[in-house]
Amino acid sequence: MSATVLPSSGAAVASGRLESFTYDDDIVRKFLWATFVWGLVGMLVGLIIALQLANPIFNTSLEWLSFGRLRPLHTNAVIFAFAGNAFFTGAYYSTQRLLKARMFSDFLSKFHFWGWQAIIVAAAVTLPLGFTQAKEYAELEWPIDIAIAVVWVAFGVNFVGTMIRRRERHLYVALWFYIASIVTVAILHIFNNLSIPAGMFKSYSIYAGVQDAFMQWWYGHNAVAFFLTTPFLGLMYYFMPKAADGPVFSYKLSILHFWSLVFLYIWAGPHHLHYTALPEWASTVGMLFSVMLWAPSWGGMINGLLTLRGAWHKVAEDPILKFFVVAITAYGMSTFEGPLLSIKSVNALAHYTDWIIAHVHTGALGWNGFLTFGMVYWLLPRLFQTPVYSKRLMELHFWIASFGILLYVVAIYSAGVTQGLMWRAFDVTGRLAYPDFVETVVRLLPMYWLRVAGGTMYIVGMLLFGWNILMTWRRRPAAYEVPVVTAPALEKRYVPEPAYPAGVKAPTSLWGRFASATWHRTWERMPITFTVLTVLAVVVASLFEILPTFLIKSNVPTIASVKPYTPLELAGRDMYIAEGCFNCHSQMVRPFRHETERFGEYSKPGESVYEHPFLWGSRRIGPDLARVGGKYPHLWHVRHFNEPTSITARSIMPAYPHFLTKTINFEEIQSRVDAMAMLGVPYGDAVNRAPEMARAQAAEIAAEIERQGGPAGLSDKQIVAMVAYMQRLGMDIKTPAATVGVAR
Amino acid sequence: MKLSDIMGHANLSFYAEVAMVIFLIVFLTVAVRLFLPSRQQALRDAARLPLDDEPTIAAAPRKD
Repeated sequence: MSATVLPSSGAAVASGRLESFTYDDDIVRKFLWATFVWGLVGMLVGLIIALQLANPIFNTSLEWLSFGRLRPLHTNAVIFAFAGNAFFTGAYYSTQRLLKARMFSDFLSKFHFWGWQAIIVAAAVTLPLGFTQAKEYAELEWPIDIAIAVVWVAFGVNFVGTMIRRRERHLYVALWFYIASIVTVAILHIFNNLSIPAGMFKSYSIYAGVQDAFMQWWYGHNAVAFFLTTPFLGLMYYFMPKAADGPVFSYKLSILHFWSLVFLYIWAGPHHLHYTALPEWASTVGMLFSVMLWAPSWGGMINGLLTLRGAWHKVAEDPILKFFVVAITAYGMSTFEGPLLSIKSVNALAHYTDWIIAHVHTGALGWNGFLTFGMVYWLLPRLFQTPVYSKRLMELHFWIASFGILLYVVAIYSAGVTQGLMWRAFDVTGRLAYPDFVETVVRLLPMYWLRVAGGTMYIVGMLLFGWNILMTWRRRPAAYEVPVVTAPALEKRYVPEPAYPAGVKAPTSLWGRFASATWHRTWERMPITFTVLTVLAVVVASLFEILPTFLIKSNVPTIASVKPYTPLELAGRDMYIAEGCFNCHSQMVRPFRHETERFGEYSKPGESVYEHPFLWGSRRIGPDLARVGGKYPHLWHVRHFNEPTSITARSIMPAYPHFLTKTINFEEIQSRVDAMAMLGVPYGDAVNRAPEMARAQAAEIAAEIERQGGPAGLSDKQIVAMVAYMQRLGMDIKTPAATVGVAR
Repeated sequence: MKLSDIMGHANLSFYAEVAMVIFLIVFLTVAVRLFLPSRQQALRDAARLPLDDEPTIAAAPRKD
């Protein structure tokens, strides 16, 4: 054990008695392992779904391993499991040191760790089983959502508690980024996931249609902002100066970077909904704030890169700095591309294409991945108290992963632009140049194979990373040295009264400390004020953007002929959600000639007033389905679901033969209808006899399938529910009574 | 009369503009405060926080 006195900045040095304490590095080591393990899992699932797009045989015949079910698993795993654990690794290491205090409660640290890992396991089990809320990056069902909220609050309490007991007056800018991330993620998570349960693993969003879309992308974009950007900027502002061995280029710039991001990011979400049924003013606000984000993002990037001033020669020798330089460059590239993509005319081409996929992978693989790798390599010798096993492996990891990113991003960027241009191409006679949707998909397959190659390289790099961690860990000392650190206590603004009479022992347990309420006095101190201000900025901005669509009628004109789904159609829709069909099929025709030519009448806001949740989609790997009702006979759908290639020879859609053999749980439909009715959907008689109504409609559809020459005996099979739903889509506005009005 | 009728007629867009002005003022205050001469030393000290926070541990990678 060695005692070290740490210098403390500013006025705090002079006063205050010296206190001795240790840091909890055990929790950092735990999160570090979790980062690697889940990172590898998430990326392997990514590789599987990349293969499934390149060739549908990789969907196998196992229903829970089809693309629609695995894609959310990939996104959730890399965002919340890999990047999440990476953030926690860096945050637990740097927070304790920046505040010169051990974490507030070791119990809460452990609770946070094990709780988070349990949530990840729950996600890995429920998503392939088809339990999903159908909202991107918020797919997990309500019991898991509650668990996330609890664990996140535990993290927040632990973090704020540590701030209150800190021995450093000034909160370094990295901590600001952590605080903003913690509070904003909590707000986003809670409000986007509000739903009515209709069973243990089924719920319906309390919002519908336009409002649900608005909430979802307010959440979705800020998940990118406050889960993948601000936490990692915090890590950058701490670990980059460490690795470069010099302070950040401009501390002033880092403060401006912080406040501009907090003020601007929260407004940017609607750029995910350009040209959809969202009110245009919201879409314009989203675009403007996204474009404004160019300035702080690039300011921050330059600040990060210039931290290397006078140390550029080290980059050639130090793989950690190499990782950081590429990470920050990738941050610059993806935050250049983001505002560009938010410009409506650019978005018109890029939306629904692979361009968006290329954009997020520049961010995820380059920025989040490389920053994590650099940070972990920097931490390894400090956490395992032995030199890193192999610098050469670090170099190899760097190069192989860099080329992997390049291959991935260039291929998928080309795929996106190719498909976007093919969709909008007209021939000389004014007809669609590629009327057959599958033509625009088949053209991408070579690029999908290049993506498989690029992704494989990145994963090979990940394995080298794991090997290096493992071998370094194996050389750790028999027992870790835990240095005792000494720092002067922070001078108090006022002297608190003695909390306990002489002779009464102060409680040491978590509950005891809480119940004694001594914590209350410290609430007026800075970190709380700061946290409150950040929350205020985020909440006020959110309210001004979101509330009008809820409260001002003219924002969502209703359509009299739009009626709720029948119980059977609702059951079909739930299957559509469970299979993750929305991952590949949009239900939102944009008001462009090339879209209305291809799919039919453009989508109106009033069409989705009963859509809990909205299913507009964000990517068209298959054609839009908003107008598919009545387009094909029932039998077409039966054959298509059973074996898509029997209808479209080159289709890459997974087959769903089990729809023809599995039976519908008719009794369950009642609870679904009841939950919808609770949300205000006018279900009328169906709240009393949903199963009966569903059976009747199922018998009709089954008879019609048989009449068209299809198999008999389908009346209790899942396929009829699916056919019912497919045939309903877009039908409401085709009825003659369709009129647009503001009354509901 | 529903809440949405009242809100629809209340002409609330004015409040959004007020909020924007307040945000701008807060941001400018932060920006101006950053450049006050009296704050410079504190900011320089703050920038060094990550560098002064722990004893150095030999971290040179093993030669191989």
